[in-house]
Amino acid sequence: MNKEEILKIVNEVFVDVLDNPNIVIDLNTTANDVEDWDSLNHIQLVVAIEKRFNVRFKSNEIRNWENVNEMIESILAK
Amino acid sequence: MIDNFHINQTFSNHFDLNEDVYALFLKLSNDNNHMHVSDDYAKEYGFEGKIMHGNILNAFISYFIGECLPVKNVVIQSQSIDFKKPVYINTKIQFIATVDSIVESVNVVIFKFNFQNSQNVVVAKGKIQIGLL
Repeated sequence: MNKEEILKIVNEVFVDVLDNPNIVIDLNTTANDVEDWDSLNHIQLVVAIEKRFNVRFKSNEIRNWENVNEMIESILAK
Repeated sequence: MIDNFHINQTFSNHFDLNEDVYALFLKLSNDNNHMHVSDDYAKEYGFEGKIMHGNILNAFISYFIGECLPVKNVVIQSQSIDFKKPVYINTKIQFIATVDSIVESVNVVIFKFNFQNSQNVVVAKGKIQIGLL
């Protein structure tokens, strides 16, 4: 899967977890750009993304994510 | 802390749905629907008698998470429950929870659970996600 394909799936996860069909994320999107992307929902997003892509992140990986691009880079690195 | 859990680890408890529990939940919820207080009414709809409030099971889940796990600093992050069969007053219910997944990166443990009546029939089942603080 390339970055664009992963972004599309990650967007679907955001829509589902945050229960907002209007969410459109891009590689530069940060938590500040998305309503309801707070600390609790961040946990739900990580749980859903790990399940969807069948990957396991390290806690320090997650702490270093500054935008969606870094999240997707972590998925690609698995 | 998360090392206290492993996949397929199972926990179980028994709960008594006796008259005291019923009366307390009736008072707490203030749900006095005829289905919960009248044997005759419930029988009209095919039940054996008045049925216990399904959400009493959520109180048992609260007890399980808060009191029965090997760690205490936990919070419930999400929970779902499907009610399959009615539960009656003056019965015993068995609760069985199994660790379904562990998400170490965010200190999350997800359980699948079910409640069974004394005939080993599943009366409710669902999932609980907890976060270890």
